[in-house]
Amino acid sequence: MSGVESRVPIGFDRETSRRNFLKTAAWSGAALSAAGIGGFGVAVSKAQATHEGFVPLGDAGILQFAYLLEQLEGIFYDEGVNAGLFRDDFLAQIAAIRDHEFAHVDAIATTLGQLGAEVPAVPEFTYPDGVFTDPVAFLELAATFEPVGIGAYQSAAVALESKEILAAAISIHNAECQHRCAINILNLVVPPNNVAFEEALTLKQVQDAVAPFGITG
Amino acid sequence: MEKHTINVPSAEEFARPRSRKDFFKALAAASMGAAAGSVLLSRKASAQSTDVDIFNFALTLEYLEAEFYGLALDAGVVTGDALAVVEAIYDHEVQHVEAIIAALEGAGATPVAKPEFVFPDDAFSSQTSVLELAATFEPVGVGAYLGAAPLIQEGTLLAAAGSIAGVEGEHVVAVNNLLGVVPPAAEAFPAALTQDEVLAAVSPFIVGGMMETGGPEYRDRNSFGRV
Repeated sequence: MSGVESRVPIGFDRETSRRNFLKTAAWSGAALSAAGIGGFGVAVSKAQATHEGFVPLGDAGILQFAYLLEQLEGIFYDEGVNAGLFRDDFLAQIAAIRDHEFAHVDAIATTLGQLGAEVPAVPEFTYPDGVFTDPVAFLELAATFEPVGIGAYQSAAVALESKEILAAAISIHNAECQHRCAINILNLVVPPNNVAFEEALTLKQVQDAVAPFGITG
Repeated sequence: MEKHTINVPSAEEFARPRSRKDFFKALAAASMGAAAGSVLLSRKASAQSTDVDIFNFALTLEYLEAEFYGLALDAGVVTGDALAVVEAIYDHEVQHVEAIIAALEGAGATPVAKPEFVFPDDAFSSQTSVLELAATFEPVGVGAYLGAAPLIQEGTLLAAAGSIAGVEGEHVVAVNNLLGVVPPAAEAFPAALTQDEVLAAVSPFIVGGMMETGGPEYRDRNSFGRV
């Protein structure tokens, strides 16, 4: 990214950012290893094992869970925008991702309404200390959120019964993948497009990842 | 919470233009005529053959991308961070090719042969020309997979297609960033493409166009309702 220095918010240190990213990138690491050791075979075998937990939820249950994930992300990015952590190109991307997540929220709520299913109440989410005062910490958390959303949709897609909802879910999945790359760009990861295959997660893995933020169930 | 103004499509809109029959027309046109055509003419395709055709179509697209990025690297016009991005994309496309071939062979199907491709004279003359053509290829890849996904019968293949589509989506963002697009990730709902849109985008790069791959004939037949 050229001219990155002019876009870096006050207090943003690229080396610290990179170290923090690498230190905490367990999700990304898993995806990278999947990319490196056999591609499709790995992707297929992982996918086979990952969607089963979503099946009992049914389409409505999957969407209700996805609704909470999108709210968790949307509110996170909204808080980040409102906290003034970013400016210029950084702000443009964070605000765009915020808008995307809330658009996903709206789309899912509309679909739940069409299914006659309840739109879940949004809990009071808990975010780690410092993420809304430190842009490095914020972007570090963003880098862990996005692969969770990717992994959830990639598994859930297989469990969905409705082809229309599947088409929407796979589009949203793609947006989350694009966010993952965009956050990598803001974290100065080169190249930011650093996986050959996106990683699916089991329902349990997703639940464990988001439980600390206040999504239980 | 600030106002956000993004047009939110309904679930129905995502799936609107993509009937299985429509997708078969695309397969017949862009993929190898013999295999896809026989399926088309039989009119009753098994689930498995549907998936095979979709993945053979995807294989053609991945071949196109892999060849493009390989030639771009050979041309030596891409440098710096852009080189890292293009090298990664090339590596990913090659892995997609290998993975799809493995999946097809694993299913007992025959992968289509790599077509001969042709690119504009100035495609590899500069980093910008490479990136601009990349910026047209990558959304086509995303759109093709998103359009095909609801037609895929086998769950593991669906997940794999989603996995690959997501990577193509990341390529869109990485290329956007190199071209100075702000913000590089700009789509709340990346678009599925119809089969005709995919064909319109890629057929200029396939030597012989659709004629050699049996395309126009099948498309004409379809348009006159004879298939």
